[in-house]
Amino acid sequence: MAANAQPTDAQPKITLVSSDNQKILVDRDIAERSVLLKHMIQDFGGETPDQDIPIHNVNEVVLKKVIEWCEHHRADPPATAEDDSDNRKKSTDIEEWDQKFMQVDQEMLFEIILAANYLDIKPLLDVGCKTVANMIKGKSPDEIRKTFNITNDFTPEEEDQIRRENEWAEDR
Amino acid sequence: MATKSNFKRALPVGRSQNPLASLRNTQLVDTKAVLPAELIATILDYLPVSDMLRFARTSKRMQEMVYDDTRWIRRLKSMGCWNEAEARQRFEEAMKKKLEAQRAKDTEQAKRTGVGTNGHANGTHGSGFDEYKASITLFDAGHEEEMLRKSVDRKTRSRASTIDDGFADTVLSSQSHPGPSRPRPMDTESALTVLSRVRSIRGMARQEYGKVYGALAPFYYDLARSRSHSDPILFRTYRDPEQQAQMLAQLRIFAKSDFTEGWNNREEKLETMIGIFENAVLHEFEQGYRDKDYDGKMKRYAHVLVTLNGGCAGLDSFIHNHPLMLEKEKLGDPINCLRHAMAGSISLAPSLEFFKGLATALNEEAAIIDRVFPPTVDVLTPFLERVAEDVITEYITVLFDEAHEQNTETYLKAVAGLFDQALQLAMSLKPTKGSKPDFKEAATRIIARCFESHIDLYLQEELDFFKSKAETEVEVWEKRLTDEEQSAETFFMSNVSRQAAKRDFLTSFKKVVMMPVNVLPTIGGSSASKPTPTPTLNGDALDVPSRTGTPLSGEGLPSPRPVEAPTTELAAKAAIMNARLEGIRSLFSIEVALDLIHKAKESLERAARFVRLGGQSGEEARELCENIFINLLQILGGRHIRAGFDRAVNHLSEYKPREVADHSTQGVAPLVAFLELVNVGDLIQQMVDVFYLQELVGPNLTDRDDFLSPACKEKKRFEQMLDERVAAGLNKGIDVLMDEVEFICGTTQLPTDFNPTGPLVDIGPSQTAKSIVEMVSSHTSMLVGSTDKNVLDVFNQEVGLRLFTALCKHLKRQRISVDGAIVLISDMNAYNAYIQTLRNKSLSQYFAALRELSQIYLIDPTHAKEIATIIADSDRYHGIFRAEEVYEYAERRADWYQIRGAVEKQMYGVGCLVM
Repeated sequence: MAANAQPTDAQPKITLVSSDNQKILVDRDIAERSVLLKHMIQDFGGETPDQDIPIHNVNEVVLKKVIEWCEHHRADPPATAEDDSDNRKKSTDIEEWDQKFMQVDQEMLFEIILAANYLDIKPLLDVGCKTVANMIKGKSPDEIRKTFNITNDFTPEEEDQIRRENEWAEDR
Repeated sequence: MATKSNFKRALPVGRSQNPLASLRNTQLVDTKAVLPAELIATILDYLPVSDMLRFARTSKRMQEMVYDDTRWIRRLKSMGCWNEAEARQRFEEAMKKKLEAQRAKDTEQAKRTGVGTNGHANGTHGSGFDEYKASITLFDAGHEEEMLRKSVDRKTRSRASTIDDGFADTVLSSQSHPGPSRPRPMDTESALTVLSRVRSIRGMARQEYGKVYGALAPFYYDLARSRSHSDPILFRTYRDPEQQAQMLAQLRIFAKSDFTEGWNNREEKLETMIGIFENAVLHEFEQGYRDKDYDGKMKRYAHVLVTLNGGCAGLDSFIHNHPLMLEKEKLGDPINCLRHAMAGSISLAPSLEFFKGLATALNEEAAIIDRVFPPTVDVLTPFLERVAEDVITEYITVLFDEAHEQNTETYLKAVAGLFDQALQLAMSLKPTKGSKPDFKEAATRIIARCFESHIDLYLQEELDFFKSKAETEVEVWEKRLTDEEQSAETFFMSNVSRQAAKRDFLTSFKKVVMMPVNVLPTIGGSSASKPTPTPTLNGDALDVPSRTGTPLSGEGLPSPRPVEAPTTELAAKAAIMNARLEGIRSLFSIEVALDLIHKAKESLERAARFVRLGGQSGEEARELCENIFINLLQILGGRHIRAGFDRAVNHLSEYKPREVADHSTQGVAPLVAFLELVNVGDLIQQMVDVFYLQELVGPNLTDRDDFLSPACKEKKRFEQMLDERVAAGLNKGIDVLMDEVEFICGTTQLPTDFNPTGPLVDIGPSQTAKSIVEMVSSHTSMLVGSTDKNVLDVFNQEVGLRLFTALCKHLKRQRISVDGAIVLISDMNAYNAYIQTLRNKSLSQYFAALRELSQIYLIDPTHAKEIATIIADSDRYHGIFRAEEVYEYAERRADWYQIRGAVEKQMYGVGCLVM
C-alpha cells in the first residue's frame, strides 16, 4: 500500500519488514508518525537508514492498515506537547474517516490497537480505544467478557454486590 | 490472574549498537489479539461512568482497575472538589489518632443521620441484608473502616479485598426505587448541596464521586437530552428558582467531570439551559427593579443570580439600568463650570454640585445594594467603577476638553480642582456590607483612575504654563526696563537723595527678611507676630498699617498656612518695598521674584495633589513639582537676578567719581544700588529657601538630604550663583568706594585743615574725615545681615585695609603743623572709632598705628630728639610702620626743615653735620 502512495520526489523511503517477512516501502515522514520508528531513525544519526526495519510484532495486513492511517494523517500537526495533564481525558469525537477506517472486525481492531501501541502512534491508539469504548457502551458484563475474552472470577453474590455498590451510576 | 491474562505487555525496547537489533529480537509471542491491561485502562478512560462500573463486574482484575482511586480523584479534581492538602491531613490525622477520630466520626455520623442528608439510594453491601436502613456510615480511611466494622458487627459479609469498597458503608439510603431515568425524590434536598459536601479522603474518591454522580447525573443527562426548557426534570423537581439556580450551578461544575464522548454537546446544552434560566431570572429581577421592589423581587432574584453564577448578569443589569447611568445629564452639565465663570476662568461651584449629587446618589445606592444583594458579592465596587467610567470620566473629559480650548490656565485649574473634588467624593462614600475592607482605598483608586488619562497632558501643560508665564513675566519686566533705560540712568543720580528713606527701609526690610528665618522654627507661635518697628522717615503712610496691622507671619507665601491672607499681605509689603526701592528696580525687582514664586506655588499646589495618586502618575507628578521648582530657580536666578547683578556690576565699574558732578550726599550711587541689590538678592534667596522648605520638603515632594535630587542641586546652584555675583560686585564695589574716598580726600581736604593759619576754631575731625567715615560706614553697614558673614568679614577687612592705604597716601600729601595735628589726631580718632565698630582685630591695629603715627606731628619742634625717639620706636606702631616709613611721614611736618637736623642727628647719631 505504501507503494501506491504518491511518494514525493525528495521523500526518502524506508523499508519495513512485517512479521511475515513482507517488505513494505514507506515515505520517511509517514514512518515517522510512529514515535518508535522516529526515534530509531534518529538513532541512525538522522539519516535515512538503508537497512530494512523489521517489525516483528505486526503482520503485513495490519501494518498496511496502520500505514494507510498514517498516510491519511501525514499532515496532522504533531500532538501538542504535554496535554498529559488531568484535563486531557476530555475525549473528542472520532472523525468520520477514522470511524470508517475502524469499521473492521474486532480481531483486526485489536491488532491495530496493539500495533499502534507497539509502534507508539498515539492518535491512532486513541482512535482505537475510543472505538472499543463505543463498542462496550451499553453492554452487559457478560457481553463485555465475551468481547474481551475475560473469565469471570466472581461468585454471583460478589458480582451482585458490585452491581449494587454502583447502582448510583446506572440508569441515566 | 491466569484467567485474564492473555494480556501481554509490550516488551521494552532496548537500545543496542544496532537500533534494529531490538526489533529483530522481538519475538511474536502470541497470535491471538487480546489487549494488555494498560490498553484496557486507556479504554476505560473513554467509557461513561455507568459502562465503566458495569465493566468492573466482569472480573476482579477489571474491578480493581475501575476502582483505582486515582481515576476518581481525577474526576473530583476536575470539578475542583479535591483538596490534596485536606486529603493528606485527613490521612495523617487518621494515622495519628485513630481512636479520637473514631469517636468524633461517630458523633458526626449521628448528626448527619439526624439531618437526614442521605446519599443516594444505591450502594449497599454485597451481602445486602437489612443494611439499607442503617443510614450513613462514613469513614476516612481503611483503618477506621476496620474499627467500625467491629463496632457494627452486623456487617458480616466478607469484604472484597480492595481498599476502596468502603463505599458500601458510605451511601446508604433505604428504599431505593430503581426507577430508571428518574431522580429519587427524597434526595432532592440534599442533592442541592452535594458538591459542597464532597470530602477529600484517600481511598474514598469513588464513593465521594458516586454521591455527586448519583445526585447530579440524572439531572445532567436528562437536561442534555431535553429539547425545550420546560422539559428537564430539574425544573419540575425543583420549583424554587433558588434551588434551580443552585442545581444549575452544580451541574455546570459537574459537567467538567464528564470526559466521555459528546461532552461538549452536553455542556453546550447545559449552558444554553443556564442561559435561558438566567434570562428568565434576569427578567424578573429587572421587573423588580422597575417597580423598585428592592426587598421583594429584586432581593430574591439577586440571590438566585448570585447562586447561579456569581450574579454577574444581575450586577450588569443593575448597573446598566441604573438611573445614574441613564440620567447622568441631570447631575450637571460640565460646561456650566465655564459658562458661569468669567471668560478665561473657571468656576468650580457647578462641579462641586455635580460631585455632591453623585455622592448622594452613590450613598443611596449603597443602601439599596445592601438591601438587594447578598453580602457575599461586592456590588458597589464594580458599580463605582462603572460610574467612574461612564459618569465621572465623561464629565471631566468634556470639561477638560472645553477648558483646554479656552485657555491653559483654566484647564490647569479645572484639572486640579476637579481632582480634589473627586477625591473628596471617594472619601465620602459609604461601603456596603459586601465591600472589601479596603473599600476606601479602592474607591479612591477607581476615581483617581478617571484622571489618569488626563494626567500626562496636565503635567506637561502645567510645566509649560509655568515656564511661559514666568518667562513672560521676566520679559515684560525687561521690556519695561529698556523703555525706561534713559530715565533710569538719571534716576540713579537723583535717587541718591532718598538715601535716608532707603536706609530706613533697609532696616525694616532686613527685619522682614530675617523674620521668616527666625520665625520658622517656632511656627505657629504667635510670638512671631510682633509688628516690625518702622521708624519711617518720610512718613510713608502706606507701610505702617500694613506692617503693624497684620501679624508678620514670616514670608507669607511660604508660610505653613497656604491661605491667601499672608500672600496678599506679602504682596502689599512687596509693593511698598518696591515703591521705596525704585532705585534698584531697574536692576531686578523683588516684585517680579515674588510673582514668580507665587506662580510656582500655585502650580506646585495643583501638581502636588496628584502625587497622592501614587504609582507612576504620582511619581511623575512629584518630578513635575521638582521641575517647577527648578524652572523657577532658573528663570529667577538665571534670567532675572543674574542680569540685574551683571548690570549693577557694570554700573559700578563705569563709575568715575571725578566725573560725577554732585557729591553732596554721602553715598556712591551705583554702590548703594548694588548693596541694596545684594540685600534684595539675599531676600529673594531666603524666600526661595523658605519656599523650598515649605512647599517641597514639607509635603515630602523632595528630600532635602538627597544631594542628588535635581531640585536640591538647582537650589545650590542658584545660591552659588548669587554668592558669586555678590562677591564679584563687592570686589568692584570696594574699588569704587576707594575711588570715592580718594576723591573726597583730594577734593575736600583744605590745605588749612592740618596747617591752620589762624587760631584753632573748633577741635574735632575735619569735614573730610567726617564725610569719609560716614560714607564708608553707610556702605558697609548696608551689608550687615544681608550676606554671608564670611563675605562680610572679608569685605570689611578689604575696605578697612584699602581705607588705611588711602589714608596713608592722603596723609603723605598733607603738610601738618603742630596746631593742625590736633585736627589730624581727631581725624584719626574718627577713623579709628569707625574701624572699631567693624570688630576686626587686625584692622584695629592698623588704625591704632595710624593714630600713634599722627602723634609725631603734635610734638613741639623744640623736642626734635623726642621726635626721633618716637620715629624709631617701632613697637608703637605694632610693627605696621617701619622707622623709615615713619620718617617719611615725619617729613610731612610743616616745620620739618627746621627740625630735620636735630631729628636726624638723634636718629643716626653722627655724620649728619656735613649736611
